[in-house]
Amino acid sequence: MRRRPMVWVGLLLGVGLLGWYFWPRSAPPPPLHPSSPRILFAERSVPIPEDNPQTPAKVALGRKLFYDTRLSKDNTVACASCHKPEFAFSDGGKAVSTGIFGRKGTRNAPTLTNVGFRRHLFWEGRSPRLELQAVGPLTAHDEMGLEPEELAQRLQAIPEYAQAFREVFGEPPSLRAVTYAIAAFERTLVSYNSPFDRYQAGDDQALSPAALRGMELFFSEKGDCFHCHVGPDFTDDEPRNTALYTVYKDIGLARATGKDEDVGKFKTPTLRNVALTAPYMHDGSIRTLREVVQHYNRGGEPNLNADALIRPLGLTDQEVDDLVAFLEALTDTSFTTNPALLPPGGQGGAP
Amino acid sequence: MKKGWLVFLLLLSAHALAVPVEIKVNLRVGDRPLQWGQTYQTPQGQRYQIDLLKFYISEVALVRPDGREVRVDGLALAEFKRDGPTQGVSVMKLDVPAGQYRGLRFNVGVPRELNHLDAGTQQLPLGVNSGMYWAWNPGYIFYRLEGTALLPEGNQKWVIHMGTDTFRIPVRLHDLQTRRVQINIPPGGGVIVLNLDVARAFEPGPGGVFVDWRKQPLRQLHGLSPETSLLMSVVYFNMQTAFSLAQ
Repeated sequence: MRRRPMVWVGLLLGVGLLGWYFWPRSAPPPPLHPSSPRILFAERSVPIPEDNPQTPAKVALGRKLFYDTRLSKDNTVACASCHKPEFAFSDGGKAVSTGIFGRKGTRNAPTLTNVGFRRHLFWEGRSPRLELQAVGPLTAHDEMGLEPEELAQRLQAIPEYAQAFREVFGEPPSLRAVTYAIAAFERTLVSYNSPFDRYQAGDDQALSPAALRGMELFFSEKGDCFHCHVGPDFTDDEPRNTALYTVYKDIGLARATGKDEDVGKFKTPTLRNVALTAPYMHDGSIRTLREVVQHYNRGGEPNLNADALIRPLGLTDQEVDDLVAFLEALTDTSFTTNPALLPPGGQGGAP
Repeated sequence: MKKGWLVFLLLLSAHALAVPVEIKVNLRVGDRPLQWGQTYQTPQGQRYQIDLLKFYISEVALVRPDGREVRVDGLALAEFKRDGPTQGVSVMKLDVPAGQYRGLRFNVGVPRELNHLDAGTQQLPLGVNSGMYWAWNPGYIFYRLEGTALLPEGNQKWVIHMGTDTFRIPVRLHDLQTRRVQINIPPGGGVIVLNLDVARAFEPGPGGVFVDWRKQPLRQLHGLSPETSLLMSVVYFNMQTAFSLAQ
């Protein structure tokens, strides 16, 4: 009789252990595509909005749309025309991009590296999500220039698309569905396999001595890059005036807010794959990474709206070179050559 | 209990007395009907054609002779596209009690509480499929007028995209004092016809400033940009008198 309490305790412990062992746990997020490089930044997964769940079919449809020039008024421009995979989904070497009928834009096409993590989109940072951001280029008169009705009719007339939209969304093609599919594909543009990431993961040989020195500078008050280029993607996603000009031709955030203090403010870009995304700044006015670093080293041009952190840094030529070496170590070639992100069928165009 | 029935009956009778009313719009250039493909001239002598007009109409209210308002919920998107009709185009249907009114008021724009909802989750006439979502600037374009300027150096497209909460256009077409405005809604329902003079947008503002399409930045009037806000304010001011009740 005296031993009965011990039996009950043992039984309860046993049941508890069994329950713990068999209790269903949330599985780690699956890789976005089979050939994804190992994500070294812990278990960081792309946030997926509730109204646009990620499915393989939707990602595949978004990928086809991303590379299809038929989404533009004159059939010459696709998303990929200005966001080319080999340049980390930027417009390789071009200060500004060319839209329909040869119309030139006014801003440099940003990289789409890890764009699924961005909280603010466009150079002003005024768009809150990828689905809504995609409306801009698809409809802008100097980019792809299609009205919603024309886009829907055009895709409905292509049987493969009509069927794909029915299967994925249960409805005919529409601008909204197009943006949701493209956003789903964009959320697979994940890059965390640079030499820097490998160094972070414990590979002491991944960074050159110059890049290591550059890294120390980058995260120091002397180099002072890290206050704005912060976090896993090296951006705070905030608009700032970097004293690029005294008088800005493109007034940046002020275009949307009407406030003088926002003149010349543009969103801090990610630095991942930055060596592949020249030229630089919102207007592509600086050709090389070294020149960008030199701009910040000089303290920029006189500007009343300049960010408080902008000032002469006093870096030596060697230190500038070291910073450039570190920035180059943020390049992930497994991202730019990932077959899952390239044009479907290797060609793009038709679905 | 009795009071509840009374309220119910009152609501029922109010609903029963409501009759269908349609708001129709005639597009004008000055006092002439707008014709697609026709070349017009601004007061400054710049030649142009109109290619597209879309605008939101919301917060509609009919005004009774004693000043009380019959407010109508909802909003509508008026669309005028090249080769489509420009005269007597139905833009909104509503239900209001029959009777005499001294006019109506409405806003051209989207109410603030709807303007900042997630456009991805909205249905027509809102949402991205409306062609009125701004993308780079949260919210909708309220008044979208587009055309072609026929300049000596060649044709150039121009747009006026008016939006943001600052530029919601109040249109007031009622008059309680002079009895000049009379709208009779018969028991069987009726139609209210509005004229919209699209050319009002190009009237000069203070100091003679005007939308000069020879200047490239002025071919893209939108938002609050300090570059163009002065001219956007001129257009906004002009638009408040661009609507009138058709005789």
